[in-house]
Amino acid sequence: MGKFVVIGERLSVTAPIINKAFTERDPEPILKRAKQQLDAGAVYLDVNIGPAQSDGADLMKWAVQLLQSEFDNVPLALDTSNKAAIEAGMSVYNRAKGKPIINSADAAGRIEYLDLAAANDAICIALCNGEGIAKDNDERMMYCQTLLERGLEQGMEAEDIWFDPLFLVVKGMQDKQMQILECIKMFSDMGLNSTGGLSNNSNGMPKHIRPIMDSALVAMAMMQGLTSAIVNPNDLRLMETIKSCDILKGNTLYADSYLEI
Amino acid sequence: MPFTAKSGKFNASIRSLTIGIGDKAITLGGECVLPFYSFDAAIENAPKVGIEITDCGMAAEPESVQKYYEGCTSVTDMAKRAAEFDGVDFLSLRLEGGDPNGLNKSIEELIRIVKDVAAAVDLPLVVCGCKSEKKDEELLSKAAEVLNGKNALLLAAKEENYKTVGAAGLACKQVVGAESSVDINLAKQLNVLLTQSGVDPQAIAMNIGSAAAGYGFEYVISTMDRIKAAALSQGDAALQMPIITPVACEVWSVKEVIASESDIPEWGSAKERGIDMEVETATAVLFSGSDAVILKHPESVATISKLIKELV
Repeated sequence: MGKFVVIGERLSVTAPIINKAFTERDPEPILKRAKQQLDAGAVYLDVNIGPAQSDGADLMKWAVQLLQSEFDNVPLALDTSNKAAIEAGMSVYNRAKGKPIINSADAAGRIEYLDLAAANDAICIALCNGEGIAKDNDERMMYCQTLLERGLEQGMEAEDIWFDPLFLVVKGMQDKQMQILECIKMFSDMGLNSTGGLSNNSNGMPKHIRPIMDSALVAMAMMQGLTSAIVNPNDLRLMETIKSCDILKGNTLYADSYLEI
Repeated sequence: MPFTAKSGKFNASIRSLTIGIGDKAITLGGECVLPFYSFDAAIENAPKVGIEITDCGMAAEPESVQKYYEGCTSVTDMAKRAAEFDGVDFLSLRLEGGDPNGLNKSIEELIRIVKDVAAAVDLPLVVCGCKSEKKDEELLSKAAEVLNGKNALLLAAKEENYKTVGAAGLACKQVVGAESSVDINLAKQLNVLLTQSGVDPQAIAMNIGSAAAGYGFEYVISTMDRIKAAALSQGDAALQMPIITPVACEVWSVKEVIASESDIPEWGSAKERGIDMEVETATAVLFSGSDAVILKHPESVATISKLIKELV
């Protein structure tokens, strides 16, 4: 097994400073955050430009070129509901350091994102969700099958579809947490890659609690076979946990300085 | 159903590393496949073969090796002769006379030899320390200084002295060998530490340790296999340094090689035993991922060199 793939989540329109920088095409805050994430061990950077309906294509192109020229063709996850923006981003994307990730398809309105990934030899995150949150794992796995078949029909390799069980918030959906973990195990048993917005579990919790919850969940999820997550790499506790789990799983070879690399 | 061969080409590759200067310079590493899997992807740099002499000259050589250096009166003479043997890619000078528990030669005396040898041959040079990590700090640092501009390999920085030896390599632009005694975690750790101390990962070679076949050798092989696997299949950048394996110093001291024919006649020719052991050990480490081996007997060198040429 390869190392756990950390996708840095901090370049997102949900952060006001980044939203402003995207709108104003101001490189500085974006590059600063990108560097922080890469220094902390992010492999991919998620570029979430939001719906970006008016100028999505132009913005995504700008962001991809900005990040890849500054950081040696860093691999990126293109994250927007604007399909044209994803296509535009991919048209200027350099894959020397890894295929682009399309974030994301689902089993309802966004299933054709898989077609887009297939046509562009990209990785696609496949959210096992239809309309509304799946009620149980039977439903999640049905979506998983639908998404897998769609991707394969379009000529994708199964390994390029990263299944997302949709991590749910503990405050309100505590009873669903083990379901999600079991779902990851099912993906893993099928030999599938998986990812997701893991820190959603700790949404609404006090700031000092979140790294603890996220670390505990990532360890449990990695035990179940999770192969990637979209997280904040600048959460030191979380990154230390991921690196330690990578050692215990044999994904990477131990050296005394393993936390520093 | 048609058979589709799966390529064993990895997305990661071993770093390529140049030792020496000019026409004779050699490049180790660069491959993105398992050892000798040239059918999966081209192996640009075939493994290289070095020949070893020591500061102790003829006196330290086994009888069957001495013959090849007949007429040599100094280490420099031997170096010149060694450079002419068939299949030699580089020269390794082992400063074993510096061993404080042995001849304990002074650093000045040893450095004079290093200087003379470097002036006499244009082959890429590997300088191996004595058996004391402490003494090697000064010895290899001085060697790095006098070899300025030669892009030589200092063998080696160890856990105990990597700071000094690494700094010497860095300051004098030499290649640094990182030596771990068959300890895979330490092999990685030393590369990390050397890199953190400023040595360019492109200027590091690993000696992950060796043994003569039969002397804990399976552990050497499994360590080497796992290092290559981590470097290539896991893309572990801290292990993508080429591996150089000194074989001679392990082989020529075991009883199967040094026992005389009169003591154990049933073991047959002492000369053949030595060459056999050296060739067998070298072959095995090459097939486990060594990018270079250091041998002593000219016949072993010629044999291994031919083997490599036939396969790559």
